[in-house]
Amino acid sequence: MFRLLVVTTFLCSIPGLVTAQTAAEIVDQVDQLLRGRSSEASVRMEVVTEHWERSMEARIWSLGTEYSLIRIDAPAKDAGMATLKAGNDLWNYLPRVDRTIKLPASLMGASWMGSHFTNDDLVKESRIIEDYDIEITFEGSRDGNEVWEFTLTPKEETAVVWGRIVEQVRKRDMMPEWVRYYDDDGEVARTMVFTEFTMMGGRLVPARMVVIPADKPDESTTIIYDALAFDIGLEPSFFSLRNLRSQRN
Amino acid sequence: MQHVWWLIGWRNLGRNRRRSLIAAAALGFGYFSVVVLMGWAKGLTAEMIGNGTGVVTGQLQVHADDFKPDESVHATIGGRAGTDVRALVARVRSDPAVIAAAPRVYGGGLVSTGSATVAGVFMGVDPDLEVDVSLLLTVIEAGRAPVLGSNEILIGFEMARTIKAAPGDEVVLVAPAIDGSLGNDLYTVSGVFKTGLVDLDRTFAVLPIDVLQSLMAMDVNRIHEVAATVPDAWRAEDAVTRLNAVMATGEPPIEIESWVTTRPEMVEYATLMESFQWILLVIVFGVAIFGVANAMLMATFERRREFAVMLALGTRPSGILASVVAESLSLGVLGLVGGVVFTFPILVWWHLAPPDMSWLFGEFTMQGALMRPILRVEYPWSMTWQAGLALFITAVLAAVYPAIRAGRVPPADTLAD
Repeated sequence: MFRLLVVTTFLCSIPGLVTAQTAAEIVDQVDQLLRGRSSEASVRMEVVTEHWERSMEARIWSLGTEYSLIRIDAPAKDAGMATLKAGNDLWNYLPRVDRTIKLPASLMGASWMGSHFTNDDLVKESRIIEDYDIEITFEGSRDGNEVWEFTLTPKEETAVVWGRIVEQVRKRDMMPEWVRYYDDDGEVARTMVFTEFTMMGGRLVPARMVVIPADKPDESTTIIYDALAFDIGLEPSFFSLRNLRSQRN
Repeated sequence: MQHVWWLIGWRNLGRNRRRSLIAAAALGFGYFSVVVLMGWAKGLTAEMIGNGTGVVTGQLQVHADDFKPDESVHATIGGRAGTDVRALVARVRSDPAVIAAAPRVYGGGLVSTGSATVAGVFMGVDPDLEVDVSLLLTVIEAGRAPVLGSNEILIGFEMARTIKAAPGDEVVLVAPAIDGSLGNDLYTVSGVFKTGLVDLDRTFAVLPIDVLQSLMAMDVNRIHEVAATVPDAWRAEDAVTRLNAVMATGEPPIEIESWVTTRPEMVEYATLMESFQWILLVIVFGVAIFGVANAMLMATFERRREFAVMLALGTRPSGILASVVAESLSLGVLGLVGGVVFTFPILVWWHLAPPDMSWLFGEFTMQGALMRPILRVEYPWSMTWQAGLALFITAVLAAVYPAIRAGRVPPADTLAD
């Protein structure tokens, strides 16, 4: 009891340390919102650019932070295309030519399926608390909501795409409202906005995410979750090259 | 009377033939040095411009005015409606300075053998026309150029090495199409090109234009560029002016530009070389002046008594001065004749068969252009007469001091010595 009191007193005397742990925990919790131990989702992706608009439907499976599989179901022209992430490796399956290609690290910054997401988003998003130092830079009321604003700064030894990430989370239900990604020059590169908070798979989740590139504010990629299930018992063997090519699931 | 001084001057050269020949040789070698060095400099510039514009870009380009600098795949000539490609190419080709023109489509994406994937820049060409515009189809190391209508691809040497592909192998291409879809298909490697420019050899791939249009979901009348060959690169700007007058008024607007606009660093280098020729001229003939002046000084010193007799007999000092200058000019004529006789055959020889310096150093790049290790010589026509003029000016300037001294010889004192 005495020891617990000493430790508690010690921790409370270092508010920075307590805040840092809390911030990381909250950001990690938000990061895990749409993931769970394993998950399966049906989504629609709507991409709007200056020159074209298109809509896609896809299913997404994930296991922890290491594995994910995305298979396009529509439109017919792209149906069957799939992306497999296994650790740091990313593979694409092209049903039209029945070939699987592995993407090299140099292509991680390239657009994924013509959207405003990059391949890097698929591979590295899961490592946010490992790659960034996280601190609360605002805590209070904004637009009638009590919120936290977290600023994520890359750790010195990590190689990451963004110079800084700023994220706002609602206090009452821990829902993310928006995330701004900054480049190395400190300029906003893109903004991700979360809306339509809905119960899915037994959890409250943002069912709609919109990514808006800063240099092209008229363009966007919207992901809408139609269905989401968590902890569905997937095994690592599910995320195989064989399954990537398979059209059965 | 004037011809007498010329006669005296000319004959005086024979008094000490060895010295006269050496002085004339100094002038002749100066002429040779300046003309050949400027020929090399001109050859170096021509090589740089030729290779810098000839490998891919051509000396003249036509594209939609919003194509650059982003080079968006959506910025096609004529907008979404496209253009009559054949007519456009024919119009560019009709300019008197243009000898070849070819349409092009550009794209970007992935080239993969499955286990190895690289990002590439795709250039869709009409092989029959492109072969006269860029060097890509003429530096094929293995295999052959792709054929229109066939799913074939010509890849760079470094790209082939990276993905371990050779002619006959199958590769997958993935490219964002202009409708937002992800174009992908199988292609056979028809050949491997090697320009020696590592970045180009690593990233560039050439496909038949219709095949790339199909991959990128583009209509056949949508192209990004017409590139043209202007053999005399310095006439490209004139061609731009002429083509602008007949083509640049339509909607949507197009942009016609030459290498002078797209490669300003090359123009700056060429201008620098032009200014260098005057520096070279001054240095070479500046050195020659002292040699000739020394010879003339010696010649006039040896003839002091002769000048004293001439002055005693009533010759005016200006006559003495004229005879010495005439002698120096005669030396200049000898030097020029010798220089021309020696220089021009060598110029022609090295122009037709440039000395190969590959034993000393390999290929290198300059201003982004691949340079061969040869001493290419271009005819520096303006320098041939400018150097001749400089030679005579040198001869006159070298004679001024000795001539003045000769004209001031005191007759009585000199003859009394």
